[in-house]
Amino acid sequence: MMNIDMRTRKSPMQKLDGRTKLIALSVIFVLVLLFSHPAYILALLGVVMVIWWSAKLPLQTIKDLFKYFLVIAVIILVVQIFFYPGQTELIRLSNPVPAIGFSGFITLEGILFGVAMVLRLVVIMIVAPLMVLTTPLPELMLALVKLKIPYRFAFIMTTALSLLPSIQSHAAIIQQAQLCRGITYDTAGKFFTKLRASVALLVPLILGSFRDSQTLEIAMSSRAFGAPVKRTFLLDSQFSKIDYLILAVTIAILVTGIVLRILGFGVY
Amino acid sequence: MSTQDPSNIVPPAQPAQVRTYKARGRIFGMSIAVMSIWAAMYIAASAIPALPVPGMAGMITVNAIMTAISGMVLGPAAAIANAAGGIVSMILFPYGFSAGPLGFLTVTMGGLVAGLLFANKWVWAAVFELIIIGAWFVNPQSWQTGMWMVPLPYSAIALLVILVKPLRDWTRRSILTQHKVWMWPAVFLMCTVGHAAEFMTTNTLVNWMFNLSWQYWVPTLPYWIMVDTVVILASTIVGVGVLIGLKKARLPNYADTLEQ
Repeated sequence: MMNIDMRTRKSPMQKLDGRTKLIALSVIFVLVLLFSHPAYILALLGVVMVIWWSAKLPLQTIKDLFKYFLVIAVIILVVQIFFYPGQTELIRLSNPVPAIGFSGFITLEGILFGVAMVLRLVVIMIVAPLMVLTTPLPELMLALVKLKIPYRFAFIMTTALSLLPSIQSHAAIIQQAQLCRGITYDTAGKFFTKLRASVALLVPLILGSFRDSQTLEIAMSSRAFGAPVKRTFLLDSQFSKIDYLILAVTIAILVTGIVLRILGFGVY
Repeated sequence: MSTQDPSNIVPPAQPAQVRTYKARGRIFGMSIAVMSIWAAMYIAASAIPALPVPGMAGMITVNAIMTAISGMVLGPAAAIANAAGGIVSMILFPYGFSAGPLGFLTVTMGGLVAGLLFANKWVWAAVFELIIIGAWFVNPQSWQTGMWMVPLPYSAIALLVILVKPLRDWTRRSILTQHKVWMWPAVFLMCTVGHAAEFMTTNTLVNWMFNLSWQYWVPTLPYWIMVDTVVILASTIVGVGVLIGLKKARLPNYADTLEQ
């Protein structure tokens, strides 16, 4: 099981309000889906990389993430290069193969569209970690509540996060106990051995955790969870001038992006 | 006939204010504490490396197993618990979600459709399943050769279980009564419903985001059927174990809520 790095580095990004960051990153996500031209997506990737750099985050994280997406990135690139209906012929490989929809040559448009889709994948994948690596989790939850996410939903997320270390330690104990019973978690084992190990871990983990939920329920009831009173928070956050400035710029970029898209720019 | 002086009229006693906050500790009949625990397990499961299927590049993630069984354990509340867990794990472990920040929608839909079906709200389950299938076909990319086959394998089974009353009732009854033999196929069908909703939402999102053509979807269909079958089989084994365990240990689960 991997451990979670919940530390946040000191940076200008960390000083921003959680809501500002959530809105800005959502706008980047919307824009990257709005455009399909490689130049536009490359510009967005540039913006994300500048934010990443200003947040003083390690580039190694991007490399680690990319390892997991390499297969899907290659699939996207290959499918678009070979099957995108382009006009500008670059390399002729064979005669047309209508059965598989292959025109027989690789086109410039196919390569550019494939690159655009891979860049889109990269932007999508590095936007979300940017948020968590620059925002302590309680602030993130506060931002969600302030953005009018229902409190009970935010509570589930916050509680889940705080219970995470306990669940992970439970899982480790169960793994040790099952190991004593001869169930191996060796990654080099056979498929069905691993499957059996997963079952042997999941069932007791779920049952044991549900037992703990009763204690949590009593604790919630004893603290009058859901009482009809105005809720107060230990932490509070306010928009600063920088937040307002960034929000204004973000909204301006979003509006510009939508107008450009309506006018037919940024589409491949 | 005498008239009463309005100042002498005693106002009727006001009913005591009923504090209903205990009800706020539950969503769709499931305790928020249980949902929090489920979401925490979901996040923890995201940290477990995926299990590669032999001879295939596909992976079985523990998340997929949890999503498939969530509807039977939590009912419709599974959607909320899965969404909460999905959002946090997507932020902490983004590599498990090929649909990026919208990845939480896939596990939400998986829990929602199976949960609604288990709660016998089959009309809503059918509506959501049809929305999922419809979202696939709205994309012009899905009008290409053979793309109609992609949602077919599991969505067809899911729709059958949802819409055919005898099959639906038998599935629910076998799980609720924990029939020694029939529980297994019933849990398999329910896991199929949950997994079908999840994988079709994922396919639809991926198709909208990355414009993959039929040359990807159609030839890889048999391969995905095999991977998904293994996921559903694994979910069935875990699901039966969990449901029996929850009942034996008298721990909270949605079947209790239905009985009440």
